[in-house]
Amino acid sequence: MSQDKKTRQAPQTTGHVWDGDLQEYNNPVPDWWLIAFYISIAAAVGYWLVFPAWPIGGTYTKGFDTITYVNDKGVTKTTHWNTRALFLKKTNEAVAAQKPYYTKIANTPFEQIAKDPDLNSFVISAGKALFSDNCAPCHQQGGGGKMGLAPNLTDDDWLYGGHFTQIQQTITNGRHGYMPPFKTVLNDTQMTELADYVLSFSKVPVNPASAQAGNALFHSETAACYYCHGADAKGRTVIGSKNLTDNIWLWANVPAAQTVADKENVIKNVIYHGLDKGVMPAWKDRLSADQIKLLTVYEHDLGGGQ
Amino acid sequence: MATEVIGSTEQYNFEIVKKFSIMAVVWGLIGMSIGVYIASELAWPMLNMDIPYITFSRFRPAHTTSVIFGFGGSALFATSYYIVQRTCQARLFGDGLATFTFWGWQAAIFLADISYMLGYTQSREYAEMEWPIDILIEVVWLSYLAVYVGTIMKRKQPHIYVANWFFLAFILATALLHTFNNLAVPISMFSMKSYSLFAGTQDAMTQWWYGHNAVGFFLTAAFLGMMYYFVPKQAGRPIFSYRLSIIHFWALVFLYMWVGAHHLHWTALPDWTSTLAATFSIMLLLPSWGGMINGILTLSGAWDKLRTDPVMRFLIVALSFYGMATFEGPLMALKDVNALSHYTDWTVGHVHSGALGWVAMITFGSMYHMIPRLWNTKIWSEKLIGTHFWLATIGVLLYITAMWISGITAGLMWRAYDQYGNLQYSFVDSVAAIHPLYVMRAVGGAFFLTGMVLMAINVFMTIRQGDREAARLRATSPTKMTAASA
Repeated sequence: MSQDKKTRQAPQTTGHVWDGDLQEYNNPVPDWWLIAFYISIAAAVGYWLVFPAWPIGGTYTKGFDTITYVNDKGVTKTTHWNTRALFLKKTNEAVAAQKPYYTKIANTPFEQIAKDPDLNSFVISAGKALFSDNCAPCHQQGGGGKMGLAPNLTDDDWLYGGHFTQIQQTITNGRHGYMPPFKTVLNDTQMTELADYVLSFSKVPVNPASAQAGNALFHSETAACYYCHGADAKGRTVIGSKNLTDNIWLWANVPAAQTVADKENVIKNVIYHGLDKGVMPAWKDRLSADQIKLLTVYEHDLGGGQ
Repeated sequence: MATEVIGSTEQYNFEIVKKFSIMAVVWGLIGMSIGVYIASELAWPMLNMDIPYITFSRFRPAHTTSVIFGFGGSALFATSYYIVQRTCQARLFGDGLATFTFWGWQAAIFLADISYMLGYTQSREYAEMEWPIDILIEVVWLSYLAVYVGTIMKRKQPHIYVANWFFLAFILATALLHTFNNLAVPISMFSMKSYSLFAGTQDAMTQWWYGHNAVGFFLTAAFLGMMYYFVPKQAGRPIFSYRLSIIHFWALVFLYMWVGAHHLHWTALPDWTSTLAATFSIMLLLPSWGGMINGILTLSGAWDKLRTDPVMRFLIVALSFYGMATFEGPLMALKDVNALSHYTDWTVGHVHSGALGWVAMITFGSMYHMIPRLWNTKIWSEKLIGTHFWLATIGVLLYITAMWISGITAGLMWRAYDQYGNLQYSFVDSVAAIHPLYVMRAVGGAFFLTGMVLMAINVFMTIRQGDREAARLRATSPTKMTAASA
């Protein structure tokens, strides 16, 4: 290409002219560009030799690279490089590292797990991501719960009980809370009286006479609140009915209501419409029994476990 | 002077170019406004306001369609009709057909945006339009092809200028991609809903064969066509190398068609398909750069223009972003890099360094060159172009820096394991970590949008100025007008 040297110094145009002044030089392609292009082609060819690359009929070129992995039957296999084998190899390694811990969790009683420092560290490590990915969308990061959506898991107020086996049952099979609407059963005054009775437990300055009437109504056969909430209004974990005496609220946003009348209204709203949104899904098809056991311990230790 | 103007309006059909130019600005404003809004929705989800029509999911395709096909598409129609006439020295073939492409295209974008907001979608990225709109686009596009080829066939120049090769490749490839990607069976004649002809992996492959070549031919080849006309025109210098333009053109159009599957690494896609897509992406790097160096070297010897000419700045910075994005692309197409970058904001950043840095910047430069010439006047404010340039550049840099950091942060968090082999972070942790970067991205977008608003003002004032000058001219030279219209 020695003759190019002269043209490079004084570039020539191709002689075509468009639109008055548009022209093109006939410069050669820069050497560095051409060399780099050839190198990229060589790199591609090299890649084809190593990995699966070209389809031929019903099969394809496999490449020289291989992967050795242990399949789920425990047999060691060597195949050409492929993403399926790579996936098995990597997940098997992770599963193998976790397996001793999960085996130990499965065979250790709940109460003993927290006492084993190494096992407890594993529970916290695995529980954090499991909880965040599966539970936190409703119960929030850290388990603090959300008004009108899901209960706080870090306090000692338990709808369905805070013992290990109760928590395990809740996660495994889910829960579905229900309260019937009373709009056709009670009139407005009666609902106000009931609200006042409930609020009186939380030291809200309600009309004592009205609260007294609510007390009577609560335990009467007309409203029959005590059937589910209990004669002491402290709820029953068997059916998940709310404890109404502890100033902890989930569905009626009493803390956000400013005046006594507003507080009455949010409670009356629940009485009027009832509740059918306290649904927690069952996790048994999504998480393994060992994972649920681990989450039970993690959840229990968030605070307030009984 | 007056006769020359009148002569040129008769020689060329500039009416259609003017219409598309104005709509490019309008769609730019609409599309970028929606873009800033949805970026803000990601940062502050309450902006969804529980209104289904403007949630991120429905607004996002309205954003991409408005900017790619509304803004980019209208700019391509405008510049390609302008360039093909001037470089062929021939009036556009089929005035009526060209007018149809205008109204048809605008209707398609408008209907597409409305239908997305009402919840209609094919769920194919960048091809979300349901089948009736697809058919409208098909008809418009074939008309475009006819107008373009018809004009080239009646050219008075023996040689076809390089910009026209790129535009022709773009029109042909887009026709092919649009047709095959949208093969679908409507559930009934009177329903907007349809099902794709393909299923499973084949469906995904067809989608990304389309998706990546929409980038390759719509957003790259076509805008290279724009570059090949406006860079030498604005610089007043010949193209650096005719030979390079031939080689990189053919290499580009050949190699692009293979690479779409790199969007599907580590999925149910066969390994060999993945490898081919990755390797063709590597081989695509230098052909892509061919366009960049041909553009940048065209300016060599006239670098001083960068100091004085804000239009030239737009064009050269566009080429720089093009070079950067086409380096980043093959890198991200490598399986191991992709394992980190895929499903993260790195992809979003990459797309926007191409879309804002390259596509929008080259369009701004070209429009600032072309619009004063269309209305036969000077640009209303050179200074405003300079301000637009800086707003746009700062906006892009903020945007892509935010997305790089956000993407790599999220990618690393998702793959982090602790000493027990448990995931170190949950998905929510990664969302919380990148929140400040979402805010930064929205701010970057707002910068870019502000620049677009300045452009709209500048274009509007330039057109008004041009119209007033023309009116004055008509008033002072009645005899010439009579002669010309006779």
